[in-house]
Amino acid sequence: MHHELTVWSRGIIMDKEARDVSTCVTAAARQLGYYAENVSDYVDDPDRTNCLVRRYARFADEPILDRFVYENPHPDWVVLVEETIIKAVNFFRLTADGEGVLVINSARDPYYLLKFLPDHMLAKLAKLVVVDATGLAEQRGSSPWMFVRDLSELAFDRMSTEGAVERLAIGRGIAAPLIGALVAATGVLPVDAVAEVVADRDAMLRGATQHTVVEYAREP
Amino acid sequence: MSVRGTHVPEHLRLPIAGVTPPPTEKDGQRLFPTGNFRFFRPVYKDKTPPCNHACPTGEQIQKYLDYVKHDRYLDGYLTIMQDNPMPSVTGRVCYHPCETACNRAAHDEPIGIRGVERFLGDYGLNLAENPVKKDLPPLNGRTVAIVGSGPGGLACAYHLRRRGYASVIFEALAKPGGMLRAGIPAWHLPEAILDAEIAKLLDLGGIEIRCGTRIGDDVTLDQLRTSYAAVFLALGQDIGRRLDAEGGQARGVVGAMEFLRETGLGRPVRIGRDVLVIGGGNTASDAARSAIRIGGGAATIVSLEAEDELLIQPEDLAHAKEEGVGLRPNHALVRVLTDDGGNVSGAVLARARLAKDDNGTVVPHLTPGTETEVRCDTILVAIGQVQVLGWLPAHYTERGLVRADEFGRVPDEGGTVFAGGDVMRGPSMVVDALGDGKRAARDIDRVLSGEPVRPDDPVEVMPYEKLNTAYFRHAPRTEAPLAPAGTRRTSHVTEVTLAYSREEALAEADRCMSCGVCNGCDNCYIVCPDVSVMRDTRQNGHYSIRTHYCKGCLVCVQECPTGCLEKVPEMDFDEPDAVVRMETAFAPYEGAHAEQAPFTRQLIEEAIAAYDASRSNSQSVQPNGPGVTS
Repeated sequence: MHHELTVWSRGIIMDKEARDVSTCVTAAARQLGYYAENVSDYVDDPDRTNCLVRRYARFADEPILDRFVYENPHPDWVVLVEETIIKAVNFFRLTADGEGVLVINSARDPYYLLKFLPDHMLAKLAKLVVVDATGLAEQRGSSPWMFVRDLSELAFDRMSTEGAVERLAIGRGIAAPLIGALVAATGVLPVDAVAEVVADRDAMLRGATQHTVVEYAREP
Repeated sequence: MSVRGTHVPEHLRLPIAGVTPPPTEKDGQRLFPTGNFRFFRPVYKDKTPPCNHACPTGEQIQKYLDYVKHDRYLDGYLTIMQDNPMPSVTGRVCYHPCETACNRAAHDEPIGIRGVERFLGDYGLNLAENPVKKDLPPLNGRTVAIVGSGPGGLACAYHLRRRGYASVIFEALAKPGGMLRAGIPAWHLPEAILDAEIAKLLDLGGIEIRCGTRIGDDVTLDQLRTSYAAVFLALGQDIGRRLDAEGGQARGVVGAMEFLRETGLGRPVRIGRDVLVIGGGNTASDAARSAIRIGGGAATIVSLEAEDELLIQPEDLAHAKEEGVGLRPNHALVRVLTDDGGNVSGAVLARARLAKDDNGTVVPHLTPGTETEVRCDTILVAIGQVQVLGWLPAHYTERGLVRADEFGRVPDEGGTVFAGGDVMRGPSMVVDALGDGKRAARDIDRVLSGEPVRPDDPVEVMPYEKLNTAYFRHAPRTEAPLAPAGTRRTSHVTEVTLAYSREEALAEADRCMSCGVCNGCDNCYIVCPDVSVMRDTRQNGHYSIRTHYCKGCLVCVQECPTGCLEKVPEMDFDEPDAVVRMETAFAPYEGAHAEQAPFTRQLIEEAIAAYDASRSNSQSVQPNGPGVTS
């Protein structure tokens, strides 16, 4: 058993959310006795606002041999912290055909999102999981995003504020429902066990129950 | 699916981080379609400026101010002429709802739009050839009857002509122009200007005005309906309401409308040197000021309204005061006093205030015991206007006005009778009538070509708060120059408000903030840190966003002075075929970084094996040491 999780997000303004997803999955996997690794990617120049950034987690029941390769070579779980990334990049590079689980933070219709995947990416897709993490997360003020009120204000963030108001708790805000949806939809790690390591347990469990799954590979 | 960004030419295929060519290098940018950074896209979305929205004719004011700014007067003139056939008239007499709505009022002072309109209108009048004429379509053989040659009728004829229809205008008076001639004094609107504007319309061909023809007497409505494709009723309201007071029949009590009409038509009028004007609206002000000019004496406006409630246009009121017009606010006429010959010799006034009954009818509330006697030799009555509508079928009219639906259609079986202007809406502005004429022409065209009539599309009006006001320096308004009050008092033909010079018109046009409409200021082009705003010509809205590269930093949106740039969620663009995917910046092709080299993997496997062996042999291992000791 070997799973590779790549979380895609945007530099600075929503970096912490991505990091929390991979960290929680790794921590839970370790506690469950798996071999696990959690890596941040710095080659994408994550100090740039809006820039695509990745966080990697992988776990297996035998030692992980790709020690000097921090990019996941064959990601089978992919989480998009912000929905527009579906248009941005081939996040299924080197994923095995029909094995990719894609979790998107979006309030849109899953079939609308699917329209933006080209055939070669659809070939890799096993299931699409759509969770409105922004809506399910704990609302801080009027929004769960870290520093600002809503996404449209987030778009104007040029403060490079990452770390300025860092929240030490891991698994708060947007990350919690995303983790819930990912863990529940993949079914490899027990939801309750993962919930133990997520700071906002309630939001994580909301995400675990309130999401839409499209079993794409099984659809005719 | 586009493959831009995934194709890397051979010579650039360098697998090592940091040495791929920067985007500035030849072909380099093609590798980095950084459009995938973006989750909001800047989009040019022109809104409706408040001036344009407030103008009943829908003049594209921002557009022609922009043309004036760039010395393109002919383009500016043609822009006005798309909506309003007589800018020289409205440039003088309009009550400028545009200036009232102008966002600049919240910034410093509204723009002198009317003055610029007059500047362009007079520019157009002075052209040797009417530039509108050459773009007119040929006549389509259908003719519309128009009743009344006031602003509503003339505008309808003009806009019908632009759509290929001929028209015949029936005018009861001896000269065309309706209220423009018979209601507005020459010191507001010189006769020569009005004549020139009407001549310009007639010169377009296909428009005929039959003066001295009163519908109802000389021609019947049924004749119009059967002989013409459609009928537009724009006969206005030109009969003054009678004074309902004791002595109201005395010689010397004259309707203000009748007084203004006779002067406007150039007939001799008699007016005393001591004039009382009853009423609190613009007609009262015009009549009082004309009375001073013609009679050479004094005039006092007696109104129920308090001074700050007067319905007189504020600048007109100020000009009237300069000219010596007296005010008696909060007073009502109780009785007219006459001498032995039946001539007016004075009036009894009482303090009063304006009140309205449940139907909205004005009911004066007099204070008993406050009657005073004043001397006067003429009383001008300006307490409202009506129109004789007895010749119309009864179901056409309601409370002295012509009934019409939202498209100006009279409840007529054929659906081809329209109405507009004062006769439909009650006393209102010249520009309202011009707007009604324009809409009637559009809807007549729709009805006659078998199209359904439909309301205008909803528009988004740009509020001041959405402008980036930091970009607009405070600049005072240039008021239109005035003739000296002394000269004005003695001449009925000296214009009160004078024209802007070219420089003044330019300065006013330059103050336009172009609310919500791209005016080609180049700001987005300059501030874009990514060279993603492209420009072909420097003109309204001629920018494009290079969506392959725009990172969605939205600096352009923040720095757009006019607010025409908006951010739209990228996911709202339902264009899967336009999606450009890129590989991440420093792993430009598939496979770079992503897999362990076999040799390295072998080393790791050996190391793990050695570690396991050392554990089973209980030997210690030095991490990062020279190797496994045996």
